[in-house]
Amino acid sequence: MSGVGNYELVAVFISLFVIFIGLGFWSSRFRKGDLSDLGEWALAGRKLGVYLSWFLVGADLYTAYTFIAIPELVYERGAIFYYAVPYVGMTFGIAMITMPRLWKIAKGKNYVTAVDMVTDKFNSKTLGMIIAFTGIVAELPYIALQIYGMQAVLTVMLGQFYANPATITEVALVIAFIILAAFTFTSGLRGAVITAVMKDALIFLTVIVVIIVVPLEIGGFGKAFAGVPTTKAISPASAEILPSLLVNGFISLSLMSALALYLYPHAINGILSSSSTKKIRLSTALLPIYGVGLAMLALFGILIYGAPSALAMVGKFGPVTVVPALIYAELPPWFAGIAFLGIFIGGLVPASIMAISQANLLTRNVVKVAVPSLDPKTEARLSKYFSVMFKFIALAFIFVISPTYSLELQLVGGIIILQTLPAIFIGMYSNWLNKWGVGIGWLVGMITGVYMTYYANFVANSFPSLETTFFKFSTPFGFLYIGLIALLLNLVIAVVITFIFRMVGTGTPSKSA
Amino acid sequence: MTKDSNVNDLSLETKGTTIEKVIVAILLLVPIAVFSATPLYDSKGPELFGLTFFYWFQAAWLVVTSVFYLMAAMLLNRMEGGN
Repeated sequence: MSGVGNYELVAVFISLFVIFIGLGFWSSRFRKGDLSDLGEWALAGRKLGVYLSWFLVGADLYTAYTFIAIPELVYERGAIFYYAVPYVGMTFGIAMITMPRLWKIAKGKNYVTAVDMVTDKFNSKTLGMIIAFTGIVAELPYIALQIYGMQAVLTVMLGQFYANPATITEVALVIAFIILAAFTFTSGLRGAVITAVMKDALIFLTVIVVIIVVPLEIGGFGKAFAGVPTTKAISPASAEILPSLLVNGFISLSLMSALALYLYPHAINGILSSSSTKKIRLSTALLPIYGVGLAMLALFGILIYGAPSALAMVGKFGPVTVVPALIYAELPPWFAGIAFLGIFIGGLVPASIMAISQANLLTRNVVKVAVPSLDPKTEARLSKYFSVMFKFIALAFIFVISPTYSLELQLVGGIIILQTLPAIFIGMYSNWLNKWGVGIGWLVGMITGVYMTYYANFVANSFPSLETTFFKFSTPFGFLYIGLIALLLNLVIAVVITFIFRMVGTGTPSKSA
Repeated sequence: MTKDSNVNDLSLETKGTTIEKVIVAILLLVPIAVFSATPLYDSKGPELFGLTFFYWFQAAWLVVTSVFYLMAAMLLNRMEGGN
């Protein structure tokens, strides 16, 4: 690409970003409500129909996870990280059963978060606060992953002008975050939904064009597979199919990710802002088709082996830049500008949605519980400030922790959020578990999950940074995702403790719901 | 939800006949079962545009999955009744 082309790319990128900012601020007027009310600011007044709630939940499908993290690891490790495809296929089936029920429970009792239900159901404010904090903490690495993705795009773009783009990239990131914080503050979830529509439109265009053009330019997948080197991390054998040693790792990753998605506060927030259960079902049912683009993007991790100039760029800027490097190398600059902006706001918008849901939890399920006299106006105002705070905590996160692979951040978030499954999913259906069982099960799941992650990275191996979330058994399982092991321990303890309390007869029965 | 709830139209009881419930369960479980049966599709051939079966089968199965889910959604929505 010529020097002029680089300026063209940046010009398109900046123009579209200006439009994006305009939309973000304008959206506070969309289906106007009283934005000083928390339900209005955080749930857009529960007025979203099939398409908007589809965009909002779909916003979750095309994030830095899809554009950056998954292709990065397919490029580095091959077929096993294609697990994201069965994950999106399965998670929406689970959501079709669980989420309409949660919506009904929430509507009937005027809950705004899943933690409202947990607090009420188990009749324990402490358990509610624990689950709220778990949700807040689990979102942080997920937001940090979004920032990594944005950084990857900026690195490829600015790397054409500066020999060492690190500092200028960081400055650009901070500026983007200040702008984001400003319009999330004024527009709330409305800002996120409207900008999610723009984001998905750009991304749709990008995915379709790139999927058709790039394989043709490269000369097909056969050539790409032939270019896969034989190294310790990846070889044609682990790129073409899944080696049998990794089958359990693949299944445990996809199944646990599928269970985890709808435990995240931001996903539940998206569901609760729908206007009816019927709309939730229809929009959820359509999402696996949307996931086909995700499958294609994952394949970029393979395709790049057929594109020498993109491969050279990844060698320079790191594997996190697989998708932006391929786009830069294979498409005209003006189109790369559109695609880069799509990927960039593909990190920004989800980061905003996630921070809103964290703020929501902190205000409603922690502060409000401690200070019950909080009036609704103060509640909404606090949430707005918290959402700004969380964005900058996540930003600080990436300046402090640098994992070897960005995806591992999200997988650690998964291990954490899965520990809320007994409280939220089982709590929605059954009154059998009591608060002690759920609480102690949670504690065991958290401790073992964190410890196994530490052990796998720094005891069994001596990785320089976070590099894996698999636990390796010599026999008979091979590799298993730590989230699965920790969740199983959590469930067993929850059942055993509840059983003991019932035998002794001192367990506080949980409320019927 | 407790019986004293005054929002009657938000009953959590699943309406519909047993047959309808079984059909919904099948429509939701088949896609998930197939995705979970990884060894079934973990093979090189038949290839499509140079892509091994492992990759293109799962991508194609996403489309089939949506069709199954959509049928389940329509059935569930009918079972729920109302508007």
